[in-house]
Amino acid sequence: MGALAVEAIGLSKTYGAVTALREGHFQLRPGEVHILLGSNGSGKSTLCKLIAGSIRPSSGELSLFGTPTNLSGPNDARARGIGVFYQELSLSPHLSVAENILLGAEPLTRWGTVDRSALRHRARDLIALFGSAAGPGLTPDAPVSRLSFDQKQIVEILKVFSSNPRVIILDEATSSLDRTQVTILFERLRALKAQGVAIILITHRMEEIFEIGDRVTIVRDGLSVATLEIAATDKNEIVHHMVGARIEGSIQRRLRPEPSLETALTLDGLQGPALAPLSVTLRRGEILGLGGLHGQGQSDLLLTLFGAQGTQAGRITIAGQRFRPTSPRAALKAGIAYISGDRRRVGVFAGRPVFENLTLSILLKTGARRVRPGLLRTLLEPILNRLKLKAPSLAVPIQSLSGGNQQKAVIGRWLTTKPKVLLLDDPTKGIDIQSKNDLYAMLDSLCAEGVGIILYSSEDSELLGNADRVLVFNSGQVTEELSGARLTEFDLYQAALKAA
Amino acid sequence: MIGLTASLPTAPRFPWARHPISIAFLLSILLLGVGETLSPGFAAPGQILSLLTVAAFLGLVAAGQTLVILGGREGIDLSVGGTVSLGALIAGNLMQGSDAMLLPALLGVILVCGIIGAINGLGVTLVRLPPLVMTLGMYGVIQGLLVLLTRGRPSGKAAPLLLDLITAPVFAGIPGLLPVWALIAALLTLILTRTSLGYAIYALGSNELAARFAGVPTVALRIGLYAGSGILGGITGFLLLGYTGTVFVGVGDQYVLPSIIAVVIGGTSLAGGAGSYLGTVAGAILLTILQSLLTTLAIDPAGRQMIFGATLLVLMLLYGRRQALRG
Repeated sequence: MGALAVEAIGLSKTYGAVTALREGHFQLRPGEVHILLGSNGSGKSTLCKLIAGSIRPSSGELSLFGTPTNLSGPNDARARGIGVFYQELSLSPHLSVAENILLGAEPLTRWGTVDRSALRHRARDLIALFGSAAGPGLTPDAPVSRLSFDQKQIVEILKVFSSNPRVIILDEATSSLDRTQVTILFERLRALKAQGVAIILITHRMEEIFEIGDRVTIVRDGLSVATLEIAATDKNEIVHHMVGARIEGSIQRRLRPEPSLETALTLDGLQGPALAPLSVTLRRGEILGLGGLHGQGQSDLLLTLFGAQGTQAGRITIAGQRFRPTSPRAALKAGIAYISGDRRRVGVFAGRPVFENLTLSILLKTGARRVRPGLLRTLLEPILNRLKLKAPSLAVPIQSLSGGNQQKAVIGRWLTTKPKVLLLDDPTKGIDIQSKNDLYAMLDSLCAEGVGIILYSSEDSELLGNADRVLVFNSGQVTEELSGARLTEFDLYQAALKAA
Repeated sequence: MIGLTASLPTAPRFPWARHPISIAFLLSILLLGVGETLSPGFAAPGQILSLLTVAAFLGLVAAGQTLVILGGREGIDLSVGGTVSLGALIAGNLMQGSDAMLLPALLGVILVCGIIGAINGLGVTLVRLPPLVMTLGMYGVIQGLLVLLTRGRPSGKAAPLLLDLITAPVFAGIPGLLPVWALIAALLTLILTRTSLGYAIYALGSNELAARFAGVPTVALRIGLYAGSGILGGITGFLLLGYTGTVFVGVGDQYVLPSIIAVVIGGTSLAGGAGSYLGTVAGAILLTILQSLLTTLAIDPAGRQMIFGATLLVLMLLYGRRQALRG
């Protein structure tokens, strides 16, 4: 088949002290669909961005169509025939579908102005590729802002197709598409493949890998660990490569007493914008883990429960009473606490004293008008001791504390409200190991007190080490519930890649 | 990242001396001294009291301004000029010189100006208009309304009791307005520093999303802050009527920008979430003394404006340095 379409030899990318990709080796043949697989932050998106020219390698060599190339930017890559579907979409909401699809490549009249009828015709031909699966309203003149999310993904895909690229990179291009749309996309990809176009596909759905892929490269911790022929492999081998050489059972599970038989929280068909109906029961003293790849609906579930996510359907019962999650304020009063690892955005009141940061929620919950510092201090003291919060005094502004101690203050704010249900949304993101261990120890005592906890963590060891059982999410749906002997990284990955 | 390796600044010997409130008060005393030297009698007790009376009106308008600015999200209330004028007009027309109508007039002013402020708050929260645009628009609407109501010839008179209350000395020559101001200032400071409402206001200004997540009813609170600014503007108009006796059109216009400047001089961050009403009090006093000094020295208006502007810039520079040292 001649020269390789793309070849990366020892390609690395570092951001300061962080290595996103180290010594990446990757070969893309013309006329193949090559799957890139790896967990969040494993380096697969970095590799794609390097090939797309949107970032530059720190070291290593990139060859396109057999010639070593130094891409000067995304435009250079595009001119060389590389078409990229960006996960975060690159559409202009106020332009029409046709204008978006042919942005920068508009057909011109002989006066040099945009030939609007040709533009519309070409866009119509491209939309026709998806036929009726494009859905109502996906017309050349429709403004992109009016489209549904899957339609926007289709427009982004068509934008890639319109430039007739020789290499196509699809970074989670199927995440919002339904089955029919995916089938049509794959038919299209097979046709392009037959013309010698090389395709890189990033997907989190295992069945898609076997349906369309020719080869798969697994990326882990910034390293490309293996490239396998799809026809000669199976799910288990792929997942084993993702998990790596980590010994089964190497994660130390924290020993906690059995959860009580009493119910802390019941969800009955709870549904949200990015969340399929979910029914589950959380016991008092239990830690229910939420697993899966990043952004598959875990945070949506927590935010919906906390009343921060607007529309929802289904029934929530806390300690026997129905709870309607209309606002975080309602959640606070019902005994739900939500702690996010994104403390800068949703936790900390920068510029305000630690004391204010700690006491606001309990004041609002009890409806106390006057602040009684003495009373609050006696309330805070045991909690601060338990959290091992280190601060020169409670009067210093909170941003003068370390990240771990800031997070402890946010946790302290919620513990003073004596929650019945604690929602943890990647709570230890970016904090030191000592603070993490302090947090885990605190979870032990909360469990002993009968608090029901739902924990989402992007760290497998944190999730598997703490949770009594784990609900694994993919595209807003629970694909599997892991417990007991199945609480392993292997099972976690396998479930994460499973379609619901 | 680079700053981390730089040596830590040594702690200042007098940390309070770097605080905007101290700076504003010290500067006020300095200006009084300068005034007394250049124009003897400038700092005479009676003169100081009349300066404080003028500052009280500004300080009260700026109290509302402090609230909306503390609440963050580019909070600002340009409609105070309108609510002050409207407050005076409503008060004058309800009272018509009758003592019996004093309290009903005050309640009427609070009601109308509170509603106007709440509409500002609704526009800022539910319609998500920038506060600058919303309150400027409201200012325009009120000005038009005033013309419509008065047809250019304002009517209305203060009740004699109100005149007495504001201007007559209550103790050692201190006019009644000053204790009223002190009372409101103490109340506001108490609310801001010792109540859950105050904590919620600072939280809202510091990080709105985190405030919502901590259980603050953020929309209702913000509407409340704008309503509060409307009410304080109206009350200022009401009290101004007791000072002037009769209603003037556009009596509030002079307060729009100074009320914002007083807040900023007092060390309240325009970004919200940090500051105090005591700072605004100091800012209002400093601003009033500065204006009075420039008038007394008979500097022509152009020079007055230049010195006024330059003083502001120098103060901001000093505060900026303080921030840099702290950060």
